[in-house]
Amino acid sequence: MSTVTETHEPSTHSKEPHVLKPERSNLGLMRPDHSKSVIIDWLTTVDHKKIGIMYGAIALFFLLVGGLEALIIRTQLAFPENDLISAQRYNQLFTMHGTTMIFLAIMPLNAAFFNFLVPLQIGARDVAFPRINSFSLWAFVAGALVINFGWVLQALEVMGLFSASGPTAGMNDFVPSMGWFGYAPITGKEFTGAGTDFWIMGLQILGVASLSAAMNFVVTIINMRAPGMKMMRMPVFTWMTLVVSLLIVFAFPAITIALAQLMFDRVFGTSFFVTAGGGQPILWQHLFWIFGHPEVYILVLPAMGIVSEVLPTFSKKPLFGYAIVVFSGAVIGFLGFAVWSHHMFTTGLGKVATAAFSLLTMAIAVPTGVKIFNWVGTLWGGRVRFSAPMIFALGFVWMFMMGGFSGIMHSSAPADAQQQDSYFVIAHFHYVAIGGIFLAVVSGIYFWLPKILGKMWKGNLSIWVAVFSTIGLNVTFFPMHFLGLLGMPRRTHTYLEGFGWETYNLVCTIGSYILAFGIFLLVVDIIRCFRSGEPAGDDPWDARTLEWATTSPPQVYNFGRTPIIPARDALWEHKHGPENRRIQYEEDDGHGIHMPSQSWMPMIASLGFVPLGLGLSLMQAGVAFMGYVAIFGLFMIALGVALWAIEGPGGYHLHPEEAK
Amino acid sequence: MKKITHGFSRLLSLSFALLALVAFGGCDLNTKMSTFDVKGPIAETQLDLFMLTVWVTGFIFLVVGGVYVFAVIKFREKPNDNSPMPSQGHGNPLVEIGLIGASVLLLVIIAVPTLQAIWYTHDTPLNEQSKLGNWYTGDELSEDAEEEVLVIRVIGYQWWWEFEYPQLGINTANEMVIPAGKAVHLELRSVDVIHSFWLPRIAGKVDLIPGRANAMWIQAGDNFERWAEKTGADGSELALQAAYNTYLEEEIHDYYYGQCAEYCGDSHARMLFRATVVGDDEFAEWVKSEAEGHTAPEGKPWDEWYKAYDSNPDSLTGDLNEGAKVFMGRGKCIACHSVEGNPRALGVAGPNLTNVGERLSIAAGWLNHHDEEDVLQADKQYENFVKWIKETDVVKPGNLMWKSNGNGIGELLDPEDPDKIKLLTDEEIHYLALYLQSLK
Amino acid sequence: MSDSATHHEDGHKSLIIENKKLLMWLFLGSDCMFFGTLISTHLIYRKIYPQEFEPTSLFSLELTSFSTFILLMSSFLMALAVSAMHKGQLKSFRRNTVGVIFFGLIFLGCQVYEFTEFAHLGLTLESGTFGSTFYLMTGTHGVHVAIGVFWLICMLFYSYTGKMDAHESAVDVEVAGLYWHFVDIVWIIIFTVVYLIEFIGKT
Repeated sequence: MSTVTETHEPSTHSKEPHVLKPERSNLGLMRPDHSKSVIIDWLTTVDHKKIGIMYGAIALFFLLVGGLEALIIRTQLAFPENDLISAQRYNQLFTMHGTTMIFLAIMPLNAAFFNFLVPLQIGARDVAFPRINSFSLWAFVAGALVINFGWVLQALEVMGLFSASGPTAGMNDFVPSMGWFGYAPITGKEFTGAGTDFWIMGLQILGVASLSAAMNFVVTIINMRAPGMKMMRMPVFTWMTLVVSLLIVFAFPAITIALAQLMFDRVFGTSFFVTAGGGQPILWQHLFWIFGHPEVYILVLPAMGIVSEVLPTFSKKPLFGYAIVVFSGAVIGFLGFAVWSHHMFTTGLGKVATAAFSLLTMAIAVPTGVKIFNWVGTLWGGRVRFSAPMIFALGFVWMFMMGGFSGIMHSSAPADAQQQDSYFVIAHFHYVAIGGIFLAVVSGIYFWLPKILGKMWKGNLSIWVAVFSTIGLNVTFFPMHFLGLLGMPRRTHTYLEGFGWETYNLVCTIGSYILAFGIFLLVVDIIRCFRSGEPAGDDPWDARTLEWATTSPPQVYNFGRTPIIPARDALWEHKHGPENRRIQYEEDDGHGIHMPSQSWMPMIASLGFVPLGLGLSLMQAGVAFMGYVAIFGLFMIALGVALWAIEGPGGYHLHPEEAK
Repeated sequence: MKKITHGFSRLLSLSFALLALVAFGGCDLNTKMSTFDVKGPIAETQLDLFMLTVWVTGFIFLVVGGVYVFAVIKFREKPNDNSPMPSQGHGNPLVEIGLIGASVLLLVIIAVPTLQAIWYTHDTPLNEQSKLGNWYTGDELSEDAEEEVLVIRVIGYQWWWEFEYPQLGINTANEMVIPAGKAVHLELRSVDVIHSFWLPRIAGKVDLIPGRANAMWIQAGDNFERWAEKTGADGSELALQAAYNTYLEEEIHDYYYGQCAEYCGDSHARMLFRATVVGDDEFAEWVKSEAEGHTAPEGKPWDEWYKAYDSNPDSLTGDLNEGAKVFMGRGKCIACHSVEGNPRALGVAGPNLTNVGERLSIAAGWLNHHDEEDVLQADKQYENFVKWIKETDVVKPGNLMWKSNGNGIGELLDPEDPDKIKLLTDEEIHYLALYLQSLK
Repeated sequence: MSDSATHHEDGHKSLIIENKKLLMWLFLGSDCMFFGTLISTHLIYRKIYPQEFEPTSLFSLELTSFSTFILLMSSFLMALAVSAMHKGQLKSFRRNTVGVIFFGLIFLGCQVYEFTEFAHLGLTLESGTFGSTFYLMTGTHGVHVAIGVFWLICMLFYSYTGKMDAHESAVDVEVAGLYWHFVDIVWIIIFTVVYLIEFIGKT
């Protein structure tokens, strides 16, 4: 059934023997395969690697947008009673900063890694549903457009060219301005304008994107593993992808329904959260955090996965306690559904509920701690190389630990009564988000970009990225612990002199610029790598997992022949393990490699969300004919899905071995 | 490479040292809203709990962080290291179980006092000293009230606070007055969006959620037993009581700062409040003056003043009368504001202005007119009133005093030409400010 | 999908469950949370405001029992259609699918009738929390049924194109069947906790 090959990858680097021609789909239209136009090729691609790269590029863009928003926020707060920007603009900025960073930067960055790596790590040709994957990407883009469209209207409003009429007449806040968790009733139509509608529609679309992507990845990981790739042989990153995808599948419905209820409140006059009609605003908080807390783990588990790949590689040792790391990840995911009310300790839950959620929150610290112990255990007795990815991974462990400790402080509900909604909380979750997630993601970028681009990093700029971002992050956020404990509430656009907050705020602002410089250097480094990196080779880091067994960048079909996995850390065992642990490859069956056809339809269907979302939101702002635009959007989605179903999956065969 | 890493770690430690300097050396932790400088059993319990978490996590940090740094340094790759592969250990279940057990144990150290504190801070204690009947020296109370602790109904508005004292029949705004050493029960309500009541030196926050009846209790300073237990003071009953009173006067009587802690819209940052903690007698005096309110300018009874105002307003002259006329008339202030004693100033949409001239701040704590010793400064007060009336929308964007369906001070119409907007003139504002200053 | 697709996806391992079926199971798991949220919102508000609205004055137990029975029967026909497709009996598949579609439409008709009736009697989206939660919940379920009907109509048409492939189409029909059964089960839950419970001790 299989042959043992000496090289770890059958030589498949050659050019295609003959030019492939696109075929007609069941619709009679030409499929966009083998397009000479790069743009058409990327727009219609179903290749998980290209989709991953696009996720990554767009996410990095939004990371910079969110970072810019943060810089304006920090500049405004540098001095007491500063009036650089108005209260309304400030509120819009912090709302969009949070929304952008969570939904448009970190989640898609994670999705970028999922997309690029998971099929490679499990030895699959692609994800289970390549066209759904393309749909998820473009739906994400549609959601990002809708949620940010308010900036355009706000600019027009500032220039005096637009003002709201209709249901939200007189309310000229077109950019969301109610905080990223949008606590009712401030999201009601008496308090906020069309910005809230953009936010509702945008998040709803992003939810569709996340749900479809998550289901796709669960199916991929469960069904598409190469032979021998048992569950307990999967790389930890793939495991974390699986846990995160399941979290998305079960957590997102809560916010989808909450958003639908909110939309009905605003558009059809229902009373889900409207006090006048008997609605209970507290219900929103429960629904939001039933989604929102798992969301925290949706953000952080992939980071843990990345670090669990990087640390063993650069310690030349297997991950300490693989099974326990995987299991604790799953436990974190499961417990993540049981701690949502710790975001609500100050809402008057009652003694028993407060106590229960307090204890459960402490309990979730245990599996998190277990991961840290295991990472330290991985380093112990290893041979630690300080390569770029490792520096960030080591930084992650340290910073994440600090974020975790302030988390334990929150878990004690009475102590949290002083910390809740103060800068202490800001410090906590930025240590987790930047010190944790961001550093891990950068570590992942340094680790895998050579695989993605096939080019190696130039020089040691990474050190300076690490220096500036780590120093910047600590200078920005460490003083915030004190700001919070000295009584500064979050989300205040300015503050009075004389409360002892001036020095801390100024230091924070300076720190944020240092951090920004670090991120700027990262972008420079990525561009340098992209433009003039030397060829990386298949396995530049002496790495452990399957993705390094194929070429850099991987061919469109990933593996010329399907690998047969003998052990966990397959490539490491292949290189350094005993003879019987070599990776083998399935024999060529002569059919060639079946590739899925590219398609316009997922993109058409998902971009239909743009007119739908914008139409419904602009209708609220009183713009004429927007109802028709929304209906057009709905029609576009239906048409896209229908044509998608009818055109058939198609597919073609590649014969990489022929040219050998 | 190694050199750079070395430089990196040096830079890192330098910056940490700098941070520590900023954190511990450079700044004072006893500030106006510090959660470290606590004055009351609740904030104290919360601080103790916080410090416990700091010590426990600090301990874990030292141990785990120490091992971590040790491992990174000890097991770093050395330049001329030609030894074979490190041992490929996959983990050790015993170590794992031990560490899990240790973490659980450390968490229990936090969990037990947490549970105690949740119970302690949740229910308003009904101790003898706090019962209104046992300390309140003002007018007669209802029998029910005598057996209760003082209740204050805190109502959040965008962006100010109403403090109602239902047992005492008074109502004030933005600056509450509470007795030292007594438990006070707060009923927290909101009329619009969610707000959060936070008085850091006295108690952590609880939210004011529309459609929901929240409650909390606060207490400025310890009650006698707790104080005696803590200080361990000895002596005769009388001497102890005197020492306790000195403690209250010197350490607890003060002007405390609070702020809304839940984002509540445009001017969330400008929704502050104050709590003045006073002795029992002073409290009773304050209640009396709040309940009595104010006479018309120059000590005239209101019915007399209104007779003159209705028949011949020009007969009312002088700064305060001019101001009162704007207040009752063109300024339309009484549509939203109440002033005790004044039979026509009965508005309920805005803050009650009884004794507003005595308050040390206006505009929900944003415009302050007091010096370091919390003594009122009349000049500054005048300036603040003028600024607030003139630039309401600048001081607090989006607030209802400026624009509210045609009733705002920014929407005042010209009496001569009702189609035109005519704001208050500088002269009118001058008189109004003087009149408001006189409300004390 | 074609045989090449089979090679592409399933060639080298024995799947416990086909991709599409697993995808549908995941969707249904997610959908459970959707309906769970909607139903619990309804029940919570029912509990907070027991007096706000008297549903028994509105609900017609006879009508709703009838439509519930119809939906149950459609599920039975759906099962027959799936089994027919597995055996490759195209005719039997069509006959049963027509039945499912017909019953689904009857159910939808009942719901439309019920909604207009309720609206006439004063229960609207604007009339407090009961109207809000009731309409959003049952409406979401109705949309599910409508999508299911539309889906089955498409499949019915597709079965006349002659492109139906025995194995792959059987999986497709089975996936649609899973969806239909789920929608049916959700309705039984809604019928129980929203309709029937209200009549306890009131007849």
